[in-house]
Amino acid sequence: MQFPGQGKAPLGVIYNTTMSRPDAALALAMLHGYEGKREARIAAVAVNGAGLGAAQFCDVVGRFYAGAGPMPNSNSRLPVGLAADDALPADEPMVKAVLERRGDKSEPVYPCGIRNVGDTAEILALIRNALTDTADQNAVVLLSAPASSLARVLDLPLVRDLIAAKVKSLVVCDSGARQEVAATRKMLAGWPTPVVFCAREVGESLPFPGSSIEKDFAWTPAHPIADAYRAYHAMPYDSPSLDMAAMLYAVHADSGFFQLSEPGMIQVLDDGRLGFHPSPEGKHKSLRFVPTEKDKIIQAYIDVASAKPVPRPSFRKKQP
Amino acid sequence: MILTGKALHRRTFLKGVGAAIGLPVLDAMLPALKASQIPGQPVRAAWFYVPNGIDMRHWLSGDDGPLGTLPKVLEPFEKVKNDILILSNLTSNWGRPLLVGAGDHGRAVSSYMTGVEVHRLGGTDIKLGVSADQIAARAVGHLTKLPSVEIGLEEARQAGNCDNNYSCAYVYNMAWRSETQPLPPISDPRALFERLFGTDIVEPPAAHAKRLAMRRSILDLVSDDTHRLESNLGAVDRRKLDEYLSSVREIEQMVERSEKEGMMIDPGMEKPFGVPPEFDDYFRLMTDMLIVAFKADLTRIATLLIGREGSTRSYREIGISDGHHPLTHHQGNMEMLNKVCEINCYHVRLFAEFLVKMKATKEGDSNLLDQSMIVYGSGISDGNVHTHDQLPTLLAGRGGNFLSPGRHITYQRETPVANLFATMLERMDVHPEHVGDSTGRLKGVSVS
Repeated sequence: MQFPGQGKAPLGVIYNTTMSRPDAALALAMLHGYEGKREARIAAVAVNGAGLGAAQFCDVVGRFYAGAGPMPNSNSRLPVGLAADDALPADEPMVKAVLERRGDKSEPVYPCGIRNVGDTAEILALIRNALTDTADQNAVVLLSAPASSLARVLDLPLVRDLIAAKVKSLVVCDSGARQEVAATRKMLAGWPTPVVFCAREVGESLPFPGSSIEKDFAWTPAHPIADAYRAYHAMPYDSPSLDMAAMLYAVHADSGFFQLSEPGMIQVLDDGRLGFHPSPEGKHKSLRFVPTEKDKIIQAYIDVASAKPVPRPSFRKKQP
Repeated sequence: MILTGKALHRRTFLKGVGAAIGLPVLDAMLPALKASQIPGQPVRAAWFYVPNGIDMRHWLSGDDGPLGTLPKVLEPFEKVKNDILILSNLTSNWGRPLLVGAGDHGRAVSSYMTGVEVHRLGGTDIKLGVSADQIAARAVGHLTKLPSVEIGLEEARQAGNCDNNYSCAYVYNMAWRSETQPLPPISDPRALFERLFGTDIVEPPAAHAKRLAMRRSILDLVSDDTHRLESNLGAVDRRKLDEYLSSVREIEQMVERSEKEGMMIDPGMEKPFGVPPEFDDYFRLMTDMLIVAFKADLTRIATLLIGREGSTRSYREIGISDGHHPLTHHQGNMEMLNKVCEINCYHVRLFAEFLVKMKATKEGDSNLLDQSMIVYGSGISDGNVHTHDQLPTLLAGRGGNFLSPGRHITYQRETPVANLFATMLERMDVHPEHVGDSTGRLKGVSVS
């Protein structure tokens, strides 16, 4: 929650994710880390193109980071959103490993507040409602999921203007997943703010070191992000960091770690893959990392993703 | 039914000096030769609003499906369990503090009914939107004597600052015709009676006062016209007319009694002259009038504010002398919370009684409840911390074979409560692009 007269409000981030890869889990950890440092605010976490377990995982991570304080109520922290109009896909092993981890007495190691779809948020209303709680030009939307939900949000009455007023930019990750062609084209054509494309190559060129999981996340015997990372692939391995790069750019666009390309257009190929085509008339730009900053970027990933929970900052005025 | 090709006009009134009483639908109003074209019974919609949230411990939670054992607050619905839907997880986003901050009570009811931002403009200015009931009234209001009826069980203030620079207009009005035009609810039983059964013609004040002083019935004023009409009606219509006028008379007598008793009310209480001292009686009197109004098809749209947000009303009728609003800020004090629960139960008992009466009111082969969609809810769920999601929401009736009640349905969180209202409007053949912040229609409530 942001209020005028309380200093500069942290940037709100709406993270639209499939939560199916370790870089997504780590990007979510980064977002919580940034919120703990008051460098960003979690406006909404919205899952689509994934099963209930992905939303449950996001909830688990939220509760993990709230460990240092009470869970905020639904006025100040919105529930995790889930696109659930159609049949949900099966959960990925990465999230199942976390949700199914049990302690000595067979109790879940990680508490979760989502038992069924009714405990998740309707994704269109969630994204719209998050924007109503954001100061002008103080939100970034990070899309690393099918664009269908954002396309439908754009179709809601009056919401296009709301997005134009509240959102600084949309960062679109090329996760490699096949996009829904018509929805993605429609969304990109109608999106009213600057759009930045984060190509897969960016994440592949900035691998997150798997060794960090065993070292920097070891301050607790049960860390959901570390468990997810381990469950995704046999250790040791270094993971591409697509969503992490996008998150770092989204929160710290002026860090000097990244540069933007000349204008172009994000292309949605007929098979659903994304690409970027330079064009002077283009409305989009592509993200490039500065090679000399590579080590700093990876260290930034580690520092913020492995940060310990801190008491939740309150962005809310005290009720009289 | 008298078979004539010439129908009595639908908006026929019984007229007398200073009085004009609307009539229910009579067979004689339907042209006999076009009987095959007689439309179905009208569908009514009403919104009942309770303030200060609900003790959600005793509202419903749990599995979806047929309603089983009801929790404490909902127990009074046992007799009409198969006539209600419990709809969980609906949200009134614009009730939240968002970028503004305090003033949850100032925003709650107006954001609930409109689904739009409640502009905080100090106590003197207002800007809201059109409420769901008024969207319906615009579309179907011309079909009845009154486009809509607004009732409140607390005397309404329209000016001043009622909560953190939110105008009192936001707090006391459920119905909004435009973004700056609320429709103040009627809290005086006599005024409601006159509005429903009285006149389009203004009775001269002196004549009005004289009639009241003489305890003459409004029916006396139109007796000549009544006899004239009766002589032209068939047996069925005569019986209908007689039942209707008897209902009007009974209510008029109740109003007279309450006026008599109302004179003894402590003037320090926020009650207009003529309000029954006991809240039960007040609720019953006002809702009895609503039932007759629905039955007579005087209106199809109604709102009823059981209490204003932030209401400090005490409920001595059930042994609670503390104010309602202060009790809801219980801070975990179980004694206070239990009193909140008792108040919630009390309201629900009265509302359930109303539903039973609606169900007992025949309408053709059906009954009034089956022909209605009646929302009972609040724009605040937890009154202690002012949450505006997971709202307590109940929808009663079948909406003319539209709803499939007797069940609990859980929606995804953040689903706008305006989606429910949009669904109701659709049943009334009203199809706005959106109702406030609605994102679509509610799935699963209807028969098909």
